[in-house]
Amino acid sequence: MMIAQAAVPRDIGVLEWLFDSTSWTGTDGILSSLGDTVILCAIVVVIATITMVPLASWLAHTRRGEVSVSWLVTLSRAIPTFAVAGLLVPISLRSGWGFEPWPIFIALLLLALPPIFLNTYTAIQQVDPGAVDAARAMGYSETEVLFRVELALATSVILAGVRVAAVTVVATEPIRAFLGGDGLGRYVRDGLGQNNDGLVIAGAMLIAGLAGLTALSFRSVERFALPDGVRRLATSATR
Amino acid sequence: MNYSLFKKLILLVVALAVVMTACGDGDGDSAIDGPTIRLRGQDFSEAVTIAEVYGQYLQAKGYDVEILTPAGFRTEAIDGLRNDELDLIVDYIGGSLTALAPDAASSSDPDEVVTIIGPAYEEIGATLLDYSPAVDGDAFVVRGDSPASTISDVADLGYVFGASAQCFERPQCFLGYTDPAIYGITFAETVTIEFGPLLGEALAAGEVDAVVWNTTAPQITEQGFKVLEDDQGLHPAQNIAPIISTEVLNEYGDQLRDDLNELSAMITTEDLLAWNTETDIAKRESDDVAAEWLEEKGLN
Amino acid sequence: MIPLLAQAANPIVRWEYFIDEWDQIRRALVEHLELTVYAVALGLIVSAGLAAIALRYRWMVTPINGFTAFLYTIPSVALFGILVPYFGLSRLSAVLPLAAYTLLILVTNIVAGFNSVSPEVREAADGMGMTPARRVFQVELPLAMPYIIAGLRIAVVSTVGLVTVAAIIGQGGLGRLILDGLRRTFWTPMTIGSSLSILLALALDGLILLGGRWLTPWAQRGRGVL
Repeated sequence: MMIAQAAVPRDIGVLEWLFDSTSWTGTDGILSSLGDTVILCAIVVVIATITMVPLASWLAHTRRGEVSVSWLVTLSRAIPTFAVAGLLVPISLRSGWGFEPWPIFIALLLLALPPIFLNTYTAIQQVDPGAVDAARAMGYSETEVLFRVELALATSVILAGVRVAAVTVVATEPIRAFLGGDGLGRYVRDGLGQNNDGLVIAGAMLIAGLAGLTALSFRSVERFALPDGVRRLATSATR
Repeated sequence: MNYSLFKKLILLVVALAVVMTACGDGDGDSAIDGPTIRLRGQDFSEAVTIAEVYGQYLQAKGYDVEILTPAGFRTEAIDGLRNDELDLIVDYIGGSLTALAPDAASSSDPDEVVTIIGPAYEEIGATLLDYSPAVDGDAFVVRGDSPASTISDVADLGYVFGASAQCFERPQCFLGYTDPAIYGITFAETVTIEFGPLLGEALAAGEVDAVVWNTTAPQITEQGFKVLEDDQGLHPAQNIAPIISTEVLNEYGDQLRDDLNELSAMITTEDLLAWNTETDIAKRESDDVAAEWLEEKGLN
Repeated sequence: MIPLLAQAANPIVRWEYFIDEWDQIRRALVEHLELTVYAVALGLIVSAGLAAIALRYRWMVTPINGFTAFLYTIPSVALFGILVPYFGLSRLSAVLPLAAYTLLILVTNIVAGFNSVSPEVREAADGMGMTPARRVFQVELPLAMPYIIAGLRIAVVSTVGLVTVAAIIGQGGLGRLILDGLRRTFWTPMTIGSSLSILLALALDGLILLGGRWLTPWAQRGRGVL
């Protein structure tokens, strides 16, 4: 039986699509996908931070686990994320937990833990005695030194670790679209599946854009959190 | 001290270069003279097995065949032919139709499809050979306990629909199911799932109520799913057929054409299903499954 | 959970598979190694160039940094997918994005390495009559090596992980095993592919670490968290 078909649209212009308001609204729209992505990434980063910062601080403080730290970080960088998530999906489905959130959540969490852990550990371990001495020389009291110098210096490094974790998570979250989910990765997935290069590029730009925005936001928070004087102190003392 | 660093660096680079070139592979030789036939299967188990079957069959006949690592899908396969990267591919004729002549009318009659894609392939320097009786077409699959027996029955069931990204943009797929002039189904929700066993997993887990799969997916019978009847004839004919670079075909002449057609005629839909059961359920490797089948048929 | 992972035909690792398919596994391993080396080598060459520009023209630091960071955030699947129509399912389509992802860490570390050389050392070298080229290669480079080695380690480990993603364009080495496992819900190749990939990364990391020590024996004093 012969059936007439409409021409299949391919290669939607990138700018055209991005500037079309219908691309942004609706359940399949960019805003909705953006929301999905941001929520998942935020939850992952928050949980990674509240678990790793205390743990790493304590370990560094009590001088434990120094050798294993570096290997653990290397190991976690070596784990193929999509393999982890892909392996977890059938398990999740068969256990009745559906496609989301566990597989992608666990995979992204594994990505977020190492930078936060390493930076916190290093930060607490490496507070530069030079900065401390300089502060004392400038007349800070011991408590002031602790909170306004040591912790302040440690905070900036910890925040940098959280920033790296956040950007990595945002940049990797797109694999969720290939595992039964959506989020910003859906445009790359759909574009690849439908031979629509324009959509792939647009999707990639959106993700890169969000990652860049995340990086910039964190950097401004870091700048804001660290008072000028201490930052100058920190940059000259610790280089 | 400084020179020693430099010397060491040079030493390292040279050593690396030596190691890299040492990791190579050798070549075989063949009985029939002619150019190497580069064959590549698409990147899913059925296509890999099909490629192995055709490849090993030709090798047994004495042709110089290079079975490349399976990669990509239809687009890459056709591009490979077009760019002289590949010489032989095996495709599903309905899929070729969508790829080469998206504006042409679809059909569930293989002969009609072939009249369109034959010339389309000639335009890119390839020759479409005879199609096989073996078919792997689109399957609209639901769980065994569903009340529907034809696709039209699904119209008002408010099902959650799962399929791969391609399906959502194809007129013979999602667009056809939801087209009021054809099936006019309203789905409660849609989920995009990578094509493959995940479709079955999602269906079994209740994440979706209907998926678009392929008719030879062994998990369908294994999990007690059912394939609904395509009562509106939306799904195109999907017989497998080899397509070979015209240049290479001419080098070998009629012998190669006849050999390939002979093989295509011997493959049946049941064979496809059996191969998939071996690779996807019993988890055996495609090259072993292909070798076994060829031996059974006395073709190697 | 255990029954899920231990069905008869589908245990976590079916050892016969490892033995029967050893040829395939070995080839995947070699391909993985090759892709990693080509990608990091290319990345290193390009990074050296970019770093040289950044060090010579200070105002270029931010744009170069921004550029390499931007490349890093492009999802790998997208980058591989976009190159295929142009370069086909070839090594090039895999190596180019992989090299691009190493730029951020390599450029950052090369620049940091050369920046760590104190001005006094440079002045001393100039004072001894060295030409700028000799000074860079004989004095600054050895001093920058620890940073470069550290960057190389990170770059290599990340690349090994990313090569697995290149499996979607047929160039993934061990990633092909993982993908095959995903496509057939077959745990064995997934486990073998993932484990070997991790082991390869750790092995290469160790090799570079040792190689770094061999190249820069003078940098072993002092504690550093590099």
